[in-house]
Amino acid sequence: MKHVNFFYSTKLTFDDYVHDHSFSLRIIPPETSTQHILSCSLNITPYIPTQQTIDAFKNNVTAGYIRDDHRFLDFEIKGSAQVDHTSYRTDYMPCYLYQSSYTKPGNELRSFHDSITEKCTGTPADKAKYLSNILAETVKYEKGFTDTATTAEQAFALKKGVCQDFSHILISLLRMEGIAARYIAGLAFCDGETHSWVEYWTGDRWEGVDPANNCSVNDDYIVISQGRDFRDCAIDRGVMFGKYTKQLQLVRSELT
Amino acid sequence: MTQQVQFTKAVGNANEINELLRRYGVKFGIYKNGVFNEQFFPFDPIPRVITAEDFKSMEKGLAQRVNALNEFLFDIYHEKKIVRDGVIPEDFIYISKGYLAECEGITPKNNVYSHISGIDLVQAKDGEWYILEDNLRIPSGASYPLIARDLTRIAAPQAFEENSIIDNRGYAELLKSTMEYVNCGGARAILTPGRYNAAYFEHSYLAELTGSVLVQNDELFVEDNILYHHTYSGGKSRIGVLYRRISDEYLDPLTFLPESLIGIPNLMEAYRSGNVAIINAPGNGVADDKGIYYFVPKMIKYYLGEEPILKNAPTYLPFYEKDMKYVMEHLDTLVIKDVAEAGGYGVVFGSDLTKEKLEEFRKTIIAEPRRFIAQEVIDFLDLPIVEGDETVMRKADLRAFVLSGEKTKVWASGLTRFSRNPDSFVVNSSQGGGFKDTWVLSR
Amino acid sequence: MGTISLEHSDRLYWLGRYTERFFTTMKALGRQFDKMIGTEHGYADYLNCFGLPDIYADNRDFIRRMLFDNGNAHSAAYSLERAYDNGIVLREEISTDSLSFLQMAKDTLTKAEQSSNVRLALLPLEDIVYGFWGSINEHIYDDEIRNIIYIGKTIERLDMYIRLKYPFDVVEKEFIRLLKNLNRVPKGTPYRYSTKYLSDLVEILGTEDDYRQGADKAVDSLGHLFETEEVPA
Repeated sequence: MKHVNFFYSTKLTFDDYVHDHSFSLRIIPPETSTQHILSCSLNITPYIPTQQTIDAFKNNVTAGYIRDDHRFLDFEIKGSAQVDHTSYRTDYMPCYLYQSSYTKPGNELRSFHDSITEKCTGTPADKAKYLSNILAETVKYEKGFTDTATTAEQAFALKKGVCQDFSHILISLLRMEGIAARYIAGLAFCDGETHSWVEYWTGDRWEGVDPANNCSVNDDYIVISQGRDFRDCAIDRGVMFGKYTKQLQLVRSELT
Repeated sequence: MTQQVQFTKAVGNANEINELLRRYGVKFGIYKNGVFNEQFFPFDPIPRVITAEDFKSMEKGLAQRVNALNEFLFDIYHEKKIVRDGVIPEDFIYISKGYLAECEGITPKNNVYSHISGIDLVQAKDGEWYILEDNLRIPSGASYPLIARDLTRIAAPQAFEENSIIDNRGYAELLKSTMEYVNCGGARAILTPGRYNAAYFEHSYLAELTGSVLVQNDELFVEDNILYHHTYSGGKSRIGVLYRRISDEYLDPLTFLPESLIGIPNLMEAYRSGNVAIINAPGNGVADDKGIYYFVPKMIKYYLGEEPILKNAPTYLPFYEKDMKYVMEHLDTLVIKDVAEAGGYGVVFGSDLTKEKLEEFRKTIIAEPRRFIAQEVIDFLDLPIVEGDETVMRKADLRAFVLSGEKTKVWASGLTRFSRNPDSFVVNSSQGGGFKDTWVLSR
Repeated sequence: MGTISLEHSDRLYWLGRYTERFFTTMKALGRQFDKMIGTEHGYADYLNCFGLPDIYADNRDFIRRMLFDNGNAHSAAYSLERAYDNGIVLREEISTDSLSFLQMAKDTLTKAEQSSNVRLALLPLEDIVYGFWGSINEHIYDDEIRNIIYIGKTIERLDMYIRLKYPFDVVEKEFIRLLKNLNRVPKGTPYRYSTKYLSDLVEILGTEDDYRQGADKAVDSLGHLFETEEVPA
């Protein structure tokens, strides 16, 4: 068990005024059997009323709408939690067994899977461990080659990527093995931005593995959201109107 | 069921009625080589006649089917008992493109998922009706027989004096009450992608008849999880029920396709919060999938404990060993459908294939048994249509409309579409097909 | 009615303008047709009114292209097409009945093009347009919304009448009609007119002399009275 303080902030700045800006944030960590949220506050500027809902994957969703002209949107979250990985999560959904838009394998991933299928044996835990190991050997952690739209197949073809790509590739392989797997977005002590990792279904519970660091998940990790892949977990999604606007995003996160 | 009485007399003059239809702007849009064109939907003056007795059993059968489908949708997005109890294999649900995990756990107002269902049927030569397909997403076409009836009654009043035909013009009231049954407080609205959509006539006509506001996405916004309409005086007015005529994946760019330009951001949050009803519910595609079609008779038994009144076309799932064996033995006489395709694509008649192609296809089916369903080819009862001075026989189907409000009601009419090409089974309006009035006799 | 969007209110305004432009163009061309009998290139004064170049072979060519050529922005057919474009998205506001008159007008105009006596073939169009306005009056219940389409209609009529140099007493009557329409616009709606341009108009259309000298400025002021942009087709 570990007591963790968390902090996360995003500043969106637009180079011209925007209006009719709708957004939805998946940023408030959920209360689960492995993390008990002691306190949590969300600040959004400019100030606007927001609404909370819980989506299909049990994520906390904060939705808002800014009608008037504005040039920035900042949000930050601050709080503390008790993390305890001696308990387990059991919130299964059958859709996690099936490939989703980011994880759908192409030729590269399929033939890679064919080449390892003889060595990938044992329990789901054995397989997950094997796959995470072999990914660490095959794919290099390197920034700047992939972005948030990169699929598992694309990243695997490059043999380069960041935590999001590692997660998508591992999920794709696990699902090809017939093991349900889901994408987790969260905060970790090892990462100054948001982190992502994978949970696989052992048959009666979820087990976490961090393929970017090739290690298992412990009390140093806080879950913000979960889903089939990145698309279900994007921290912020928005639609706005204005002239051609570039947006600048500054992200900072901290665990203490 | 009794053999249908074939009506061979034209009701009024085809040109006159088509002239009237033109006048009232009964059109559909199609794109040819990227250019938008509006076409008139040709009307054939010989009605399809359904006897009172036939309709009585169709009515029961259709309501039964739609009730089961609504129960199925509720079950799939909640407890999934039908999968747990082994009636439908899990794979068929989750590989379906129409299944939307984003809709898990959402309960639409009064548990209605498919408010407006378009069930396609054909009648075989022996008079038996078979279900071809369920359309539970945005079935279109009700407006055409609706306005055509109005006009044929002007052009040929005598026919309506001599025959006891149920008036079908209550559709607007029926639709309105179906919308009101799930209204979450606010105005009724019909959401159209715009005037260049194929069914724009229908959108605007139904809006007029039901007293709904016809809107496009940029007139709507979600604030405090409530759907609003920007009014011209700069204010906002609340929408309580949205009959949307755009598909699921475009509905909300913050939940589904981020690149959708015709959606309403955060509509799904308003919907999830119970502040607006969406007609039909997002996620219905899982129930009208070609693979799921096979299981509808089983659903009826499972949820309602009743025997299905209307038959499916005899269908085989190569997924099951017994069916695979049959399909392999009879491939040359069956019609094979790819479950992932829609709109007439991915449909292969075994009789059209050469020996080599047949062998090739056999291998594809063995390799991917879940991807296909196989059906017996139904011997259609052709309908007479007027062509110039003569009457010729053509293939036709019937789209029946079932509306689920407080009660499940079958509209005593429907859209009869026919193929103008003598050898074709394709009745789609975009392929040059036409439509007929559908009479349901009151006695 | 209750709710109508900003886009639909713009559409209504332009529906009024284009229907009227079609109507007035057709009538003016009818008059021109009569004037041209027995002349050659008898249409120069008409083109002058709109500052248009003479690109026509003869009287017949002029009349036909001004009536039927969709690609000519000053033709009757073009205005009717634009009226229909605005009308088609307003079905639930103006009713299928009203819309059917525009479709009939289109069909009648197309038929007239094939006719050996064009003027005779165009006569029913007058009935159809009057029918359209009767139907609009019947089907739009909300006074405020109905007023929008009439404002469009009256502004267009004034614009055409001034350009065509109609007599002062005719223009004056239409201007008084416009002032009555404007009086019905409630405060706080987007359909507020510019008071600056309105006072210009009041001045110019005050006396017959001012009208003769200030016609160009009057047309310009009319154009600025409502700065509402046309919704693209």
